[in-house]
Amino acid sequence: MNVHPRARDYTQSALGKMIPNESELTAGVKIEPGKQYGFFTDTTVCIGCKACEVACKEWNNLPADNVGLTGHSYDNTGALSANTWRHVNFIEESGGKSVRDNDQNPFQSGWLMMSDVCKHCHHAPCMEACPTGALFKTEFDTVVVQQDICNGCGYCVPACPFGVVDVSKADGKAHKCTLCYDRLKGGLEPACAKSCPTDSIQFGELSDLQARAKRRVAELHDRGVHTAYTYGTPDGPGALDSPGVMGDMQYLNAFFLLTDRPEAYNLPAAPTRPSNRIAPALTAGLATLAGLALAAVALMAGGSEETHRGR
Amino acid sequence: MAGHQKTIDKAQIRWMEGVITIVQEGRFQLSDAKGVSHQFVLGHAALAETEQLRPLQSRQARVRVKYTDASGLISLIAHRIELLEPEALETVRP
Repeated sequence: MNVHPRARDYTQSALGKMIPNESELTAGVKIEPGKQYGFFTDTTVCIGCKACEVACKEWNNLPADNVGLTGHSYDNTGALSANTWRHVNFIEESGGKSVRDNDQNPFQSGWLMMSDVCKHCHHAPCMEACPTGALFKTEFDTVVVQQDICNGCGYCVPACPFGVVDVSKADGKAHKCTLCYDRLKGGLEPACAKSCPTDSIQFGELSDLQARAKRRVAELHDRGVHTAYTYGTPDGPGALDSPGVMGDMQYLNAFFLLTDRPEAYNLPAAPTRPSNRIAPALTAGLATLAGLALAAVALMAGGSEETHRGR
Repeated sequence: MAGHQKTIDKAQIRWMEGVITIVQEGRFQLSDAKGVSHQFVLGHAALAETEQLRPLQSRQARVRVKYTDASGLISLIAHRIELLEPEALETVRP
């Protein structure tokens, strides 16, 4: 394992102050405003430990919710919500390769595990829907809700194609992952990525992460995992038939390496921006209104002619 | 406003005194006299704003919180925060 040379400066177990640019030591990246940052979640190495969920709750002081057992595999979190910003999906493959079958694929490959999170979309539909400007793009190209500006209208909730944003019943405001905005400002790697024991969640500069993901997909293909692909990376030429095409979303700052169809991970196969449907919907509505008005005028004109003839 | 609790059941109202130790957005942790930490979420109709919490934490001001239980959450809903040291008021204004 490569250790950053600066790590030798901090050998004591208790530090008197914060390490400047700590992310350089933990994630190999210096966090600077004006650059694009994100997550690359490699689901092939996720072991479902939920350390990311715990780290997120701990750092963001998020209360526990959905207390109890869901009965859905090892997943007792349920879904992303106003109080749960990281959610580890447990997918037991059905059909011929089910984990409940007698014949098993090697390496427990009947299981799919994926740590889901806000995608911090390049064209964020939640931000486009927000009437108050509470949702904004930070200097790190991430999407954050400003709590003092959010009025709890909830427009962002149906606008999100991934079902990430949620309005809290406790405070009536929209909440979602901030990609640890406060930590980034302090030069710290986001809590979930830092806690991930297998580096399934990797934090870094977006271009670096995309290149890393490309290399990882090629490596998996070489090893015989031909189903591996990235979900949320920019579309390449001829990629329209591949699963997880981003279309007008272009790309996601938090993207994934998957080995099955997006739907298996509860992700939309082709997410779209609701704002692109406003113009056609408005045109169709206006055309209908105009048609009905014309029909009404024609009926009224016909009726008055008959009245004249009758006289 | 989407589905939040609109009325407060007066029978459920309680008070707690302590020091605010952690603040994240409208969520905060209050340490009581015994050193036990309690998690709070600022209620939608609370007589305090999210930006007023961080100065309270930095000042380590003693406060009294009016709260109720939250349904489906391991947290308490704060409805009012009173300063126990009024002379500190100037220092905690954002």
